[in-house]
Amino acid sequence: MNRSKFKVDIRCNPIHVAEVQVTHRMSPRFYFIPQTRAIITSLLLLILALPCFSQQDWIRTGTGLGVEKIRLAVPDFKPSNQDPKNPELLKAFNDTLWNDLDNAGIFDLVSKSFNPLEVPGQPTEVKFEVWSAPPPNASMLAFGNLGVSGNTVMVQGWLYDVKNVTSPQVLGKQYTDVATTDAARLIAHKFADEIIFRLGGGVQGIAESSIYFVSDRTGHKEIWAMDYDGSNQRAITHLGSISLSPRISPDGSRLAFSSLTKTSWEIMMYSLELGRAVAFPRFGGTNLSPAWAPDGTRLTFSSSRTGTSEIYMVDASGGSLKRLTNAKGPDVSPTWNRKTGAQLAFVSGRSGLPQIYTMEADGTNVQRMTDQGYAVSPSWAPNGQFLTFSWMRKYGPGAPGSNDIYLMDIASKQWVQLTHDGGRNDFPSWSPDGRHIVFQSSRSGSEQIWTMLADGTKVQQLTFTGHNTQPNWSWK
Amino acid sequence: MAANADIFLERGNLGRPLAWSLALHLVFAIFIIVYAVFIPEKRGEGWGAGGGGEAMGATLVSNVPLPANPVKTENVLANDSRGLTKSMPLPEVKPPEPEAIPIPDKESKKKPKPAPNVSRKKPEPEQPVEEASNVIPFGQGGPVSGPYGTFNAGGAKGGFGFTGGGGDFGNRYAWYVRVVQQKVSANWLKYEVDPRVTSGQRVYLTFDITRSGEPSNVQIEQSSGVPSLDQSATRAIQRIDTFGPLPPDYSGSKVSVEFWFDYKR
Amino acid sequence: MKLQKIKWITLMFALGAVLMLGACKKKVAPPPPPAPPPPPAPTASLSASPNSVPKGQPTTLSWQTTNATDVSIDGIGAVQPNGSQQVTPADSTTYHLTAKGAGGTQEATARVTVAAPPPQAAVPSATEEELFSQSVKDIYFDYDKADIRPDQRAALQGDAQFLGQHPNIPFKVEGHCDERGSTEYNLALGTSRADAVKSALTQAGLPANRVNTISLGKEQPFCNEHTEECWQQNRRAHFVYQK
Repeated sequence: MNRSKFKVDIRCNPIHVAEVQVTHRMSPRFYFIPQTRAIITSLLLLILALPCFSQQDWIRTGTGLGVEKIRLAVPDFKPSNQDPKNPELLKAFNDTLWNDLDNAGIFDLVSKSFNPLEVPGQPTEVKFEVWSAPPPNASMLAFGNLGVSGNTVMVQGWLYDVKNVTSPQVLGKQYTDVATTDAARLIAHKFADEIIFRLGGGVQGIAESSIYFVSDRTGHKEIWAMDYDGSNQRAITHLGSISLSPRISPDGSRLAFSSLTKTSWEIMMYSLELGRAVAFPRFGGTNLSPAWAPDGTRLTFSSSRTGTSEIYMVDASGGSLKRLTNAKGPDVSPTWNRKTGAQLAFVSGRSGLPQIYTMEADGTNVQRMTDQGYAVSPSWAPNGQFLTFSWMRKYGPGAPGSNDIYLMDIASKQWVQLTHDGGRNDFPSWSPDGRHIVFQSSRSGSEQIWTMLADGTKVQQLTFTGHNTQPNWSWK
Repeated sequence: MAANADIFLERGNLGRPLAWSLALHLVFAIFIIVYAVFIPEKRGEGWGAGGGGEAMGATLVSNVPLPANPVKTENVLANDSRGLTKSMPLPEVKPPEPEAIPIPDKESKKKPKPAPNVSRKKPEPEQPVEEASNVIPFGQGGPVSGPYGTFNAGGAKGGFGFTGGGGDFGNRYAWYVRVVQQKVSANWLKYEVDPRVTSGQRVYLTFDITRSGEPSNVQIEQSSGVPSLDQSATRAIQRIDTFGPLPPDYSGSKVSVEFWFDYKR
Repeated sequence: MKLQKIKWITLMFALGAVLMLGACKKKVAPPPPPAPPPPPAPTASLSASPNSVPKGQPTTLSWQTTNATDVSIDGIGAVQPNGSQQVTPADSTTYHLTAKGAGGTQEATARVTVAAPPPQAAVPSATEEELFSQSVKDIYFDYDKADIRPDQRAALQGDAQFLGQHPNIPFKVEGHCDERGSTEYNLALGTSRADAVKSALTQAGLPANRVNTISLGKEQPFCNEHTEECWQQNRRAHFVYQK
C-alpha cells in the first residue's frame, strides 16, 4: 500500500487521514484503473487539505516551561509638552500605574534603578537591546507619554514585547480626560487593567474595583467604601447606629448590610445610584450577613425570626422568603459559589464550635468542610475551587490563640495557612480576579483592613484611622 | 449388667459394623480431599487482589507497576521552598526532519524558521525565543497563579523552552503562548493523578482557542497510558474559561494548541 | 369811652368772624367717605388624630385656616396657616388655635384625651428602676454556649418571680458575647442566649409578648480586658429596664 505517498499532515485533519487510508485500502473499484485511482485520491486529499489552506496556526507548549511571573519594565511616562500642570499629573499617573502593576500579582517589575537613563516616550525611541539585556532583563516594556493642553490631558501608552523586535506591539492605547490628578489616576488604573487583562490571560484587572467595609472613626460603626488600593476612603451611611456586614451587589448598584434598630437587627438595602436607602422588608429578630447570588436576583442571609439563626433566601426586593437550614445551633455568614450560582458555604454551630459547611442552594447536601477548631467567615473564590476563611485550629475555652486566614481546596479539602504574623485575622474576601484577598487584622494593634496575594505574600495595610473591619471586595 | 453381657455376646458380629465404619471413614476422607482440592479458588480470591482503596479518584491502572512507597498527599501545606529542581540546561537546536507533505500547503510558506518536529514520540524542545537567564525554578508554594500550585503533589517538570507552533503565531505573539502555558499549568491539579503512578509520564492534548479566547475541542492526541493522568490534563483545560481574546491584529479565526503535560513526582 | 366801644365792637366782630369762620369750616367739612366693604372673616379648623392616646404616645394635630395672616396654637406658638404637627401631651389637653385676619379672629379647638395611666405609675420612678436592677440578675453563660447553666437557674427563677410580680415593668433581654470570636457568629450566639432566657421566662409563666430580646454580640462589652474574668463578664444575658 502506498501509504507514505498520501500521508497528509495530520495536524490539519487528524480524523480524515484515517478515512483516506481506509478508503484507499477498501475500494477495490480503483484497482483496475490506477490512474483514476491516483487522480481521485489526490483530489480527495486536496479537498481534505483545504482546511490547511485556511490559516490554521498551531501553538506547541507544555508544563514545566517558562517563568512564573512576567518580567515587566515600567519606566516613568514622559511629558509630551511643556505644560506646567504636567509634573503633578505625571506623578499621580506614574505612582498609580506602578502600584497597580506591582499589586497585580503576575509581574516581576524591573526595579527603577535598573532602567537605562534614557526612557522612551514614543515607539520610535525604544531601544530593544537595552531593555532586554541585563540589568533590566525585561520581557515586556510599558511606556508612553502624558501631556496637558488647556483643560484636557492626553495619555498615550504602549506595551511592547522587547524580545520580539519584528512585531513588538502588544497594546497601544490613547486616553483623554479632564486635566485633574483624579483623572490621571483613573487613566493609570485603566491602562494597568488593560495590561493585566492581556498578559494575565483574559482576567479583568482590579485596578478599578472597590472595597466596602465597616469603620467607626466617626464614633459609630458605619459602612464605608474605598478604592482597591486604599485611596479615596469615604462614608456611605450616616445612620448613627451600629451597621455591619456590608455586601455589594454583583452589578455594583446596591449595598446590602445589617443595622441595629431599636428592636432588632435588620437587613438594609442602600442604592448607590440614588444615594439613599431603598425599601427592604423587616423580618424581626437578628438578621445579618446578607450575601448576593452571582446573578443579582437573590440574597441569602441569616435570620433568627423563628428562634435560632438559620439561613434564608429572598429575591432582590426581599420577597419570596425561603428557609434553607434547619438544624440546632446558629447558622450564619452564607457565601455563594459565584462560578455556578448553585452552592453556598456557611458557618454553623450545629456540632458545637462554629465550622464551615457547604450545601446546594436549595438547602440539600450539607457537607462539613472543617474538622476542628473555630472556623468562621467563609468566602468562595471566583474560580469556584477554593474557600478562604478564618480559622483557629485547636481552639478551646481560655486559649488565647489567634485566628488566621486559610485557603482550602473544596474538592480535596486540603488546606493552606495564608497568614502567620499574629493578631486576629478575620473576614477574608476575594478580589474579582481571584488573585487577591482582603481581610481584617489586629496585628498592628487595632483592627484594620489589609490585603494580600492569594498565596499569602505581599501583605499591605490599607486603613489606619479608627477601627476598620469586615471588608467586602466588589465583583468587578 | 445384661447390656455388658450382650456386648460380650455380640463380639462375633463385629465385622459388619467394622465394615460400615471403614466405609464411612473412607467417604469422609474422600469428601475432605475433594473439598480441599476443588474449592480453594473461592477463598483465595479474596486475598491479595488490588481493590482501589483510598486512591485519589482514579481507576486502577493494571499495567503500571506499583511503586514501593506511595507518596503521602494527605496534608499538603505550602512551604516557602522555591522548588526541588532547577531548570534544565538549554538543549541544542536540532532541525528535525519534516515529514513528507506533498501538497504545497501554506505551512512551508508560513514558517520562516525551521519547523518544529512533528514526531510525537520524541519532542525535542527548541531553543526558546526568550532568554532564560531570569528563570525561577518551579516549586511548591509558588506565586499567585499558583495557589493551585500549592496543592500539587510533585516537583518541577520537564524541559525548557517553548515552540512557536505551526504558523508564525508563536513568533509574533510569544506573550500569548506564555499566557496559555501559564494558565494551563496553573490549573493542572496533580493530586488528581493516581498517587501510585511513576514519574516520567507525558500526555499530549490538543485543543483550539477561539477568537474570544475560549478553549474548545479538547482531545487527547497521545495518551500517557495512565488514565488518571490523561483525565487530570483534560480537566485542567476544561477548568479554564478564557485565555484572553486572541490578539486583535491576528487574522485567523482560531489557534490550535498542542500541549504536553509532564508528570513528575 | 368811644375807643372802648370800638374795641369792644371790634372784638365782638372778630369773635363773630372767628365763630362764623369756624362754623363755616365745619359746615364745609367734606361728606364722610363711603364705608369700605367689610373684610371676609377668617375660618379655622383644628383636629387631633388620634384624639385619644395612651400616655406618652404622640398624636398629630392638623389645622386649616383661610383669610388669616396670624395663626397660633396655644402651647406651640405661631404656625403656618395650614399644617400639622406631632405633639405628645402628658395629660389630656385641649389645643386652642387662634386665627387672626383682617376680617376678624376665629378660634378652633381640639381635645386630646390621654388615657388614664395604668394603675401602677407608668412614669418610671427612680425607685422602681433601682428595684429592678437590684432584683433582676443577669444570667451568665459558658464559652460558646447558649444553654442555661445549673448554677444560673436559681437566679433565673428569681428574675422570673420578680417580673411576674411586677407585670407592668417593661424590659428587654440583651444577649452578649465575649470579645473573642467573630462579629457575625457572636451576634447569632447572643441571639441564642437571649432566646434561651426568654424561653425559660415563658416557661415560668411570663407571657411571651412581654419578653423582648435583642442580641448585641460583642458590640457593647461590659469590660475590655483580655482576661478570663472579663470574658465571663461579657458572656451574659443582660436585663434592661425599658423606660
